[in-house]
Amino acid sequence: MEANKHDMSEQEQGSSLWADAWLRLKHNRLALGSLIFLLALVVLCILTPWLAPYGYEQQNLELGATPPSMAHWLGTDVFGRDLLTRLLYGGRVSLMVGFIATAVALLIGVLWGTVAGYLGGRVDMLMMRLVDILYAIPFIIFIILLMVVFGRSMLLLFMAIGAVEWLTMARIVRGQVQGIRQQEYIEAAIAMGLPLSRILWRHVVPNTLGPVIVYATLTIPQVMLLEAFLSFLGLGIQPPQSSWGLLISYGAESMEEYPWLLVFPGLALASTLFALNFLGDGLRDALDPRVAKD
Amino acid sequence: MARRLLIPLLLCGFLLACVGGETNVAQGNRDGVLHFGNYGEPQGLDPHVVTGVPEHHIIGALFEGLVLKNPETLAIEPGVAESWTVSDDGRIYTFKLRDNARWSNGDEITAADFEWSWWRALQPALASSYVFMYFPIKNAEAYFNRSLSNFDEVGIKAIDKKTFRVELDAPAPYFLQLLDHYALFPVHRPTVEKFGAPDESYTRWTRPENIVSNGPFLLDEWRLFKYLSVKKNPDYWDADKVKLNAIRFYPIDKQTTEERMFRAGQLHRTEEVPIDRIPWYRQNRPEVLKIAPYIGTYLYRLNTRKPHLADVRVRQALSMSVDRRRLIDTVLNGLFTPAYSVVPPGLLGYKPPDVFGFDPDKARQLLSEAGYPGGKGYPGLEIQYNTHEQHRKIAIAIQQMWREELGIDVRLQNKDWKVYLDDETTGNFDASRGGWIGDYVDPNTFMDIWTAASGVNRTGFADEEFDRLVLQIAPNAKDHETRLNTFQQAERLFLEQMPIVPLYTYSSKHLVHPGVKGLSPNYMDYYNFRYVSLEPDASGVTQD
Repeated sequence: MEANKHDMSEQEQGSSLWADAWLRLKHNRLALGSLIFLLALVVLCILTPWLAPYGYEQQNLELGATPPSMAHWLGTDVFGRDLLTRLLYGGRVSLMVGFIATAVALLIGVLWGTVAGYLGGRVDMLMMRLVDILYAIPFIIFIILLMVVFGRSMLLLFMAIGAVEWLTMARIVRGQVQGIRQQEYIEAAIAMGLPLSRILWRHVVPNTLGPVIVYATLTIPQVMLLEAFLSFLGLGIQPPQSSWGLLISYGAESMEEYPWLLVFPGLALASTLFALNFLGDGLRDALDPRVAKD
Repeated sequence: MARRLLIPLLLCGFLLACVGGETNVAQGNRDGVLHFGNYGEPQGLDPHVVTGVPEHHIIGALFEGLVLKNPETLAIEPGVAESWTVSDDGRIYTFKLRDNARWSNGDEITAADFEWSWWRALQPALASSYVFMYFPIKNAEAYFNRSLSNFDEVGIKAIDKKTFRVELDAPAPYFLQLLDHYALFPVHRPTVEKFGAPDESYTRWTRPENIVSNGPFLLDEWRLFKYLSVKKNPDYWDADKVKLNAIRFYPIDKQTTEERMFRAGQLHRTEEVPIDRIPWYRQNRPEVLKIAPYIGTYLYRLNTRKPHLADVRVRQALSMSVDRRRLIDTVLNGLFTPAYSVVPPGLLGYKPPDVFGFDPDKARQLLSEAGYPGGKGYPGLEIQYNTHEQHRKIAIAIQQMWREELGIDVRLQNKDWKVYLDDETTGNFDASRGGWIGDYVDPNTFMDIWTAASGVNRTGFADEEFDRLVLQIAPNAKDHETRLNTFQQAERLFLEQMPIVPLYTYSSKHLVHPGVKGLSPNYMDYYNFRYVSLEPDASGVTQD
């Protein structure tokens, strides 16, 4: 019934799912605001090297840790380094790890889950048992192994994190796909003789997007913190570079003496996560093909 | 109405029960119980097996060696040995044990106890980490390495019941100090043998119900991860002088937790002070903050086997371009003393040679002479350190100093303790954070570690003349003065080669309640609980 409506609308206006989604998203002001905030943040982080009056590694030992002032809007750390500059440079790392790792996880997870869920039977069994086996490996050890084998590089670290985060995604997608496979429109698509890849891409994947996007917005903060943890162990990025996770973990060490070193990075991470969640929520609503168009 | 008041009243009562009760410190001051922050849970209590500072404090209360140290002056005082004589050539020590020294089960302490205990410590299967403390003794090293099988040839001998004789390979003026280290304490033979073979580690003989010891205190109760408590030993030979009735050792390895417990009146003394809290204590409660120089040097080892560190001029440039004063005053809250030598100054009157200072111009010049003007063409280097807040801070500051002063690329790499140690031992590093704590008050403890055969050298530094000065000339020096001069000559040679970058001399940092007497800071951070007392009327409440 609802699926019918969707098909009809396609005939009526010829607008794609994505165009529809964008129309709907535009009406969700919270989601739109979040999107603008995130874009602004990304642009700011990208432009930091040209905007910042200080270097992220530039120390002023005599100055030491100072609270926010006119010269240093967010204060300085114990080495006299400008916190705002470090926060923006850290944002480059954190946002990059958040997006790249999540994208990797998304790609593998959706592909794996869709194929397994759609084909079912023995293929499904084999693929999901592999996921179970990977689940059983402690992921820190897995990442450490990857780093040891392939060496240390920032991009690789992002990929490695993505490579362990896709498991849950694959399970969620598979569950969704198993339900979708039973739907009549899939039967219709098969009956029309569409090739498998087209069925999966046009009819199955878009219908799984709701939960996938929600899960992706949850994955981003998770990988940001994971990066901080790995860096703390000496496997991630090394000083004087920084990331939000690292700034927070170092800030927490001296929160009684220099609270601003914890508060501002914390705020940056929290507001980004809020924005991501609102956006994810909005996207989910917008992309849901079952939502009736007015 | 009554019901609406009930919950707040209950809450108040609960809070009062938590806060309003008498603190550990107030109660302890009255009852003579010292509450002692002791860093970590002890590995064990067998003096010949364990290593580490928490064990040191506890074993020092439970056992006693031939001699003791005065906590104020660090001078040697009689312990189980009532008196001793040293032969003219400084190689033979003869100890006379006191008659009233007893084990806690009433047995007399005899010279045979010491002979057997030292024999036990030298058993390879026991793998005592501090076995090197025995190596000044004649043939002890050979016996430990199994190149000698007859213990009679080792210079350890019980002459009669109360006379114990030790023969050394070469004169070692610091030998008496070693006797106060727990590795050379006696253990009670029947008890050890009752619970296992003599060379078996971690048997049940150190359990509270089994242990027999000879120190001023007896093991009372050991509750894992809560506390370990000891009580006064009434049969100790000098029991009249012992003023404390009991000590409770708390295993707290988090500095911030320990500091909070101190503030709440739960501890008399902390093992550490979080470095960021120091300014607050300086300003608000200077009377409880005890900072003293400590016999240890914080340093960076340079790997002289690496091509880009093989040139002595590069190493000198690295060392001269570190502004130690600035590093300490800013990042380290002014806690330590800058070090320009590996031996801390003032060890028994030793004066380290004056080889270099902070001199960035000279450093740049040396680097350009080495072929890297302005750092151009230098492949860069990596500082490795074990994961720890303070090591990280220091490394970040030094990284920037080297980058700015010398124009070279410096990377940081933190590693887990075991990986860090492994990489350092196998020579897989450029610059590696390190520290050396003296085992006794003598320049030798800072010098013999850099000899070619030393297991903790790790820099690739090997110099025949240095080895000869430290291992042959110094031990046979005629008098103290000549000996110190020899060490000075050796250290000059060492510092001119600069296989390490000395950074600062350690400090011990503690919070000590004003009611505690006799825990005065000293160079060794050494405690002798016989001298500690508590003032009953000292204020137990520490205002925040």
